[in-house]
Amino acid sequence: MSTDALATNRNASPPSGVSATSDAASTPQVMGTRILDVKDFSVEYGWGEGAVRAVDHVDLHLERSKVLGIAGESGSGKSTLVYGFTRLLRAPGVITGGEAYFNLGDSQGTEEVLDLIGANERELRQVRWSHISVVLQSALNALNPVVRVGSQFEQVLKTHRGGLSRKERRARAEHLLSLVGLDPDRLARYPHELSGGQRQRIMIALALAVDPQLVIMDEPTTALDVVTQREIISELYELRARFGFAMIFITHDLSLLVELADEIVVMYAGRLVERATALELYEAPRHPYTLGLLNSFPPMHGERTELTGIPGSPPDLSDLPSGCSFHPRCPYAMERCSRETPPLVNTGETDRSVACWLHSGDDGVQVPIELSRRGPSGSTPAETP
Amino acid sequence: MKSLRIPRSPKVVLGLGIVGFFILLTIVGPYLAPDNPNNTSFAPNLGPSGAHWFGTTSLGQDIFSQTLVGARATMVVALVAGLIATILSVSVGVAAGYLGGFTDDGLSLLSNVFLAIPGVPLLIVIDSYLPTGSRSNALVIGVIISLTGWAWGARVLRAQTMSLRNRDFVEASRIIGESRARIMFSEVAPNLLPVLASSLLFTILYSIGAYVTLAYIGLTSTSVWNWGTMLFWAQSNNAPLANEWYWFVPPGVCIAMVGTGLALLNFGIDEFINPRLREAGMTSRLRRRRGLPRRPRLGLTPVVRASSPRPARTFVKTGSGAR
Amino acid sequence: MTVIARRLGVYLVTAWVAITVNFLLPHFMPGNPIQTLIGKLQDNVTPAEIRSIQLSFGGTLNHGLLSQYLTYWGQLFHGNMGISITLSAPVSTILGSAIPWTVGLIGLSTILSFFLGTFLGALLGWTRGSRLDSLIPTATFFQAVPYFFLGTVMLLIFGSQLHWFPELGAYSISVTPGWHWNFIASLIRYGELPVISIVLSSVAGWMLGMRNMMITMVAEDFVLMSVAMGLPRRKVVWAAARNAVLPSIANLSLAIGLVVSGALLVELVFNYPGVGDLLLNAVLNEDYPLIQGIFLVITLTVLAANLIADLAYFALDPRTRTAAVL
Repeated sequence: MSTDALATNRNASPPSGVSATSDAASTPQVMGTRILDVKDFSVEYGWGEGAVRAVDHVDLHLERSKVLGIAGESGSGKSTLVYGFTRLLRAPGVITGGEAYFNLGDSQGTEEVLDLIGANERELRQVRWSHISVVLQSALNALNPVVRVGSQFEQVLKTHRGGLSRKERRARAEHLLSLVGLDPDRLARYPHELSGGQRQRIMIALALAVDPQLVIMDEPTTALDVVTQREIISELYELRARFGFAMIFITHDLSLLVELADEIVVMYAGRLVERATALELYEAPRHPYTLGLLNSFPPMHGERTELTGIPGSPPDLSDLPSGCSFHPRCPYAMERCSRETPPLVNTGETDRSVACWLHSGDDGVQVPIELSRRGPSGSTPAETP
Repeated sequence: MKSLRIPRSPKVVLGLGIVGFFILLTIVGPYLAPDNPNNTSFAPNLGPSGAHWFGTTSLGQDIFSQTLVGARATMVVALVAGLIATILSVSVGVAAGYLGGFTDDGLSLLSNVFLAIPGVPLLIVIDSYLPTGSRSNALVIGVIISLTGWAWGARVLRAQTMSLRNRDFVEASRIIGESRARIMFSEVAPNLLPVLASSLLFTILYSIGAYVTLAYIGLTSTSVWNWGTMLFWAQSNNAPLANEWYWFVPPGVCIAMVGTGLALLNFGIDEFINPRLREAGMTSRLRRRRGLPRRPRLGLTPVVRASSPRPARTFVKTGSGAR
Repeated sequence: MTVIARRLGVYLVTAWVAITVNFLLPHFMPGNPIQTLIGKLQDNVTPAEIRSIQLSFGGTLNHGLLSQYLTYWGQLFHGNMGISITLSAPVSTILGSAIPWTVGLIGLSTILSFFLGTFLGALLGWTRGSRLDSLIPTATFFQAVPYFFLGTVMLLIFGSQLHWFPELGAYSISVTPGWHWNFIASLIRYGELPVISIVLSSVAGWMLGMRNMMITMVAEDFVLMSVAMGLPRRKVVWAAARNAVLPSIANLSLAIGLVVSGALLVELVFNYPGVGDLLLNAVLNEDYPLIQGIFLVITLTVLAANLIADLAYFALDPRTRTAAVL
């Protein structure tokens, strides 16, 4: 498929309340309690003929101290999105549009906004780790294999806390390890000498080393066994309550997000298909894909339900279906779905949006009962059949 | 099964061209030579001219003819040695990797020993004991060179076989009860091909170096012309000090060209085996035309905004506004 | 520790194989070379010397092969590697005076070339796609040039034509060898061109190998993480290079033998009074005791160098200390 075809086929960019600012990069940003504001953000892999759009006009924002969950299957663009606006995405990834602003100010309300997309290397280095830290899926690969754990803390503290003495750095590292329940003697170990869970805890301790306002967790528990996974999630929950950092948690396991996140966005084929608070999303999903994801994983707590999953497999980004990318797998697909791409629109409820023609409000469209349940907040879905 | 597609980069094309040219020279070189390389009837130490493209030696032999004739012996020995060594590498490496256990221990020790012994000095000792008659025999020399050059390939092939052995599709054929030999040849062998090709190129490269070295110190029969012998005569007649560059430059450049060609081909195979080495698809000129920085930088994802806004945007606004 | 012990085991077996091959070759090669050799010597040397040569091959042929093999080992332990036919001196004495030259020249050049190549390779791998990439085709060509050919060209251009460097030998004949500045200066002056030749021939190999490893490492998560951690650029590069150099060192054992073999011939081009130069004369005169002595010495030196490389690898990669990786 040619680029032109790509451009005309995927014809809709998700609108949102702030979409008007998308082409006004020069206007000064006022963010208030907002810590991260990503607008109309697009990322492509490759170039020219073979270019593949991995993130398609995505809007995202995060309030201070809140947890945002990003859910989706592999290839949905959830990691690409995050690595994109943090500018960590590797070649051949290219940011092709949009804005991303990060609020460097503190909780007292001071305002200092960094334009992540326009930033140069020096500016990025100033926010990296001291404001935004990252935890990757596999801690074995994320830790330098030939450097002792202690020295990895040492490096980070030396770079960002230049004022600390050697002794203070050491004490800080030991304190950080104790936060994640590890013995200080682990500092003398090499990464390969530790278990997967220990390594991931060390990554988390490292991520908190210089008190960032935002911690990005990219499937931090996927490589671990279920028991360790549980332990780490509950530790994260406590740590966040204690230190109040904001968090972006990327996972394909929606049930895990429901426990941890304040707000959840669901991605499919590079686009946001649904945004809602965690509870609303769990109790009353609006998008068929969200429903499918919820049915793919057992809830961490609560009663057992039948796992149905989603038929088919994620689409090939270089050859997306026309209209709504999800329609070939969607049990509720209509004729219109293969023709037109649904925009992400407000459902009429407070702060929830969905990109699905079922909720277009058009006459003759019957919203299935499982996608029109009342949310826990008691708000009425816009399109009650 | 995965199809074998060698990346068709300029490097590979150039490498194929060079190697192809010299293989052609191997076949037709001796027929193209204008003179008998042993003919000493010309004036000595002539510089390059229309009559003698590469000049003449201090014995009055035509250097161009020597270079053309010498191509055959050099290339044939290298190919023979490369092939035999690769057969040895495959037998030892694949057997060790596939069978495991004591067989593996024994064969690995064998290849480690041969890896550790410096090949060329061993070659020199063996060769110095050969009767002069055998030294002109391409097969004998080829076999001896291959004896000192198979171990590296065996080690690489062993590692690759071991990793293949544990893959799902091999496991599957074992479960459905295919015979060991059949699995080895129909399932494992095809997947070894890129590594095998790389090992073959390396061994040929080594063989050329080894053969030329032997000739250069006078250990091959002087009755057979090859590029190393030419260098031997140039050195023993003090050509470098007498500024007779045309005497040793042609054979030296030929050797280097063949080597470069093989190395370029190997780049292609390397990129096939290790995708990380592949140029991320775009030359620096293409990158610049697209408005990207000349080279990708880690931790600084480039931003290229499409010059024209997507037509989609208007649609979206009406879409959300109307409803 | 078991890793090192295993490597040591391999090297001991290798040394044994090399020595045994050395013993067996003259016995099994067609044409009975030992007898021919002794026949040739009859007029030039004393019966005592003939006896010594015979012993160095394992004694007279009427003893059994095993008994000869044991005699051979015994002689080897006493440093008797026979007597050089052309130089009429014990092989051990001749080698003793040649080895320091070779170790000095080739050792120094190899170390220089390894560090230079590794540094350039790390740079090329890190700045992949930059203008520096244009070095790669040149490097590929230099990698394919035989060492002695490059040496010859260098000698012609910079020695006999431009006269930037002295041409042949290891030091000026006008200075007397000894521990004084004049001699050392002359030594350095005469060593420059051979060292440059060897470095130039071997640096490309290290460079291209390191570049590939560096590119592979830069694609690893931990390198991206050190960027995400906001570490200064030089620390990020170091993190990648520090890991990329490990396979390079692990491959040293393969490379050292090749590099040393190649470099030996450079001695020959420059008439450098080392082992390589001896080898040429020994080969041309069919001086078997000397050829064999040289082979043994080279092999044992290369094995020792390999062991040092393994120890370095062991020291640099913490993973080898817990698991048997090698």
